[in-house]
Amino acid sequence: MATETNPGADSDDKNLGPLQTWTRGVLTDQDKQDRLYRALFYVAAVFFLVTTLFPFYWLLVLALTPNSAILTGDWSLPVLGFEFPHPQGFNVYAFVEVFQQVPFHLYVFNSFVLATTTTIIVIMIASLAGYVFGRLEFPGRGGLMLAILMVSYFPPAAFLIPLFDAFLGNAVAIPFLGIEVFEPPRLVNTPGALLLPFSALMLPLSIFILTTFYAQIPDGLEDAARVEGTTRLGALVRVIMPLSAPGLATAAVLTFIAVYNEYFFSEIMALENVPQNWSPLVGGILSYQTQYTTDFNLMAAASVVGVLPMLIIVVFAQEKIVSGLTAGALKE
Amino acid sequence: MANVTLEHVTKRYEDVTAVDDMNLDIRDGEFVCLVGPSGCGKSTTMETIAGLTKPTEGTIKIGERDVTKLPPKDRGVAMVFQNIALFPHMDVYDNISFGLRLRKYDTEEIERRVEHATEVVQLEGMLDRMPEEMSGGQRQRVAIARAIVRQPDVFLMDEPLANLDAKLRVHMRTELQRLHKKLDTTIIYVTHDQAEAMTMSDRIAVINAGELQQIDPPLICYNEPANLFVAGFIGSPSMNLINGELTNNGIQTDTFSVDFDPSILEGVSPGDQVTLGVRPEDVYLTDQSEGVGNATKPKHVTTDVLEPMGNEIFVYLNLDDSKERSMADAEGAAKGQLLMSVDPDTEIDEDQSVDIVLDRSSLHLFDTETGDALLHGLETPVAVSDETGTVAESDS
Repeated sequence: MATETNPGADSDDKNLGPLQTWTRGVLTDQDKQDRLYRALFYVAAVFFLVTTLFPFYWLLVLALTPNSAILTGDWSLPVLGFEFPHPQGFNVYAFVEVFQQVPFHLYVFNSFVLATTTTIIVIMIASLAGYVFGRLEFPGRGGLMLAILMVSYFPPAAFLIPLFDAFLGNAVAIPFLGIEVFEPPRLVNTPGALLLPFSALMLPLSIFILTTFYAQIPDGLEDAARVEGTTRLGALVRVIMPLSAPGLATAAVLTFIAVYNEYFFSEIMALENVPQNWSPLVGGILSYQTQYTTDFNLMAAASVVGVLPMLIIVVFAQEKIVSGLTAGALKE
Repeated sequence: MANVTLEHVTKRYEDVTAVDDMNLDIRDGEFVCLVGPSGCGKSTTMETIAGLTKPTEGTIKIGERDVTKLPPKDRGVAMVFQNIALFPHMDVYDNISFGLRLRKYDTEEIERRVEHATEVVQLEGMLDRMPEEMSGGQRQRVAIARAIVRQPDVFLMDEPLANLDAKLRVHMRTELQRLHKKLDTTIIYVTHDQAEAMTMSDRIAVINAGELQQIDPPLICYNEPANLFVAGFIGSPSMNLINGELTNNGIQTDTFSVDFDPSILEGVSPGDQVTLGVRPEDVYLTDQSEGVGNATKPKHVTTDVLEPMGNEIFVYLNLDDSKERSMADAEGAAKGQLLMSVDPDTEIDEDQSVDIVLDRSSLHLFDTETGDALLHGLETPVAVSDETGTVAESDS
């Protein structure tokens, strides 16, 4: 009687279903466990690779397919039959045409210069701020940090109209009172109208990242640098920043990508979509679209060209990030 | 090469005074240890000398220069840190030459100096290693090389050996002494380890609660401690301190008395609370006390626990019969106990009745209230009859 009330206790592998046998095997057998983990790794890796790389494949397909064939072409695969994006022809000429139709290189240049300059400004200011917030004690530190982070809680669009108004050169006045505070220079159609808001909007995140990184550098290293002959600023540049390379790279890459992709502010601050007015990369891509025609193949080709500078930078930055990660090993 | 002078240096944080009116005069070429318990202000004192912390009040002079307001880089000091603080992203050569490169020395001069410094600390052939590839002792040598390569006026060392294992620490201790002999530069050395301070320094500055207690050569600190704190801090295990009352003919504690003429003491009068201090090695078994010319009368005690150290045995003695023992607050004997050190070949057991005497010439008397030392060593035995009969003079 007592044995029957507990049937699971004496059951062995023979009584188990295939799933139970397998899970038990995974739990007890090291080989099966390793195989499972490897399989899961490949599944996850393939999933991420497909979701990130498929859009590029599609872009490439569109760029190589002549524009006329994009809307009318037969997308079913030759033998298999089902529809799948594949090049309808091999029109490499699209990559040349991209530069002939509009001065696309100038749009790329604009975005590249804006992104680089913003990154430099942000890293410089965020480094100083990160040093102060991360390494110094002063009253009101928490409150000030919170105030800075609050900037990043606002949607950027909230700033657009007042900024546009100010950058047009209109006097900045206190609402309702009408008292003029100052009259800003006319910044629309210049990089200034973009660098100022981009830097201000990207700073909070970078300050936050660098604060956490700089706070982790042992005080002893900064003290050592200062006794050896640097100022506080020198210690920041020579010791704290090199040791925070992963954090710097993260902040820089995030800032660079965000500004490089930026369209909203750039398009509005450039009164016409021409590269002379510092219209950005995305503006360039959209300029292949006119009122009556849309050159999808050129837009796709331009997108691929626009990705290349980023690709080069990420490949170089990656090496830096990895070397920064392995340089660590502090004794504290 | 310079002397270091601290005049009325005080460092206050919001609600704590870390350093309180510190006056130090460290001579050129001297090896001075700042020693004290954790949080006593010794590291803060060193940081004010290095310039890493600005004193709230007071002036600091290195050589004849007032450096109170100068940044660390302009003070001509080099520092070795407790956590070693090598720059992890630089190899040994870059670490050592960091200060020289900042000062724009030419490459040949830097190479010559680095080579010399690595010779001094015996690190030849390791210049291209990264700090993470080195052992603790090697890293500490790199840190020392980085300090000496600049040929500073003053070396500051903030517990440089604290992170090393015991064996390496003793080894580096002798190396530092050798280094001091070779360089002959002023060294200020912070430690909480009184043994380190005793063995290495020319003078010890004992600090407690931000105040300088005593600055003297090690043996003076040991033999003539200026107050109760120094008496308890210097020496391991620490001095036995027994509270008692000054009477007309000596000192009376709960369990025994020692006779002397109290008129030789200044600042206290019969009836005042005094503390009797005696080091473990100045307590003798009566049958081993032939060599003690100036002993007290034997006192009957029982042994508690023994600590055989190999070269000596520490014996905890119960002065009274009470069974309750409070825990010892630090090393040393608990209340109502006396710590004695005897030869390792002495036959002695736990819970054994023995007779002991104290070496009168090595007794210390302190004013319990102020903690100040009143007397070191009772010279002449004075025969006075003893009411309690527990300990009295053996003869007149």
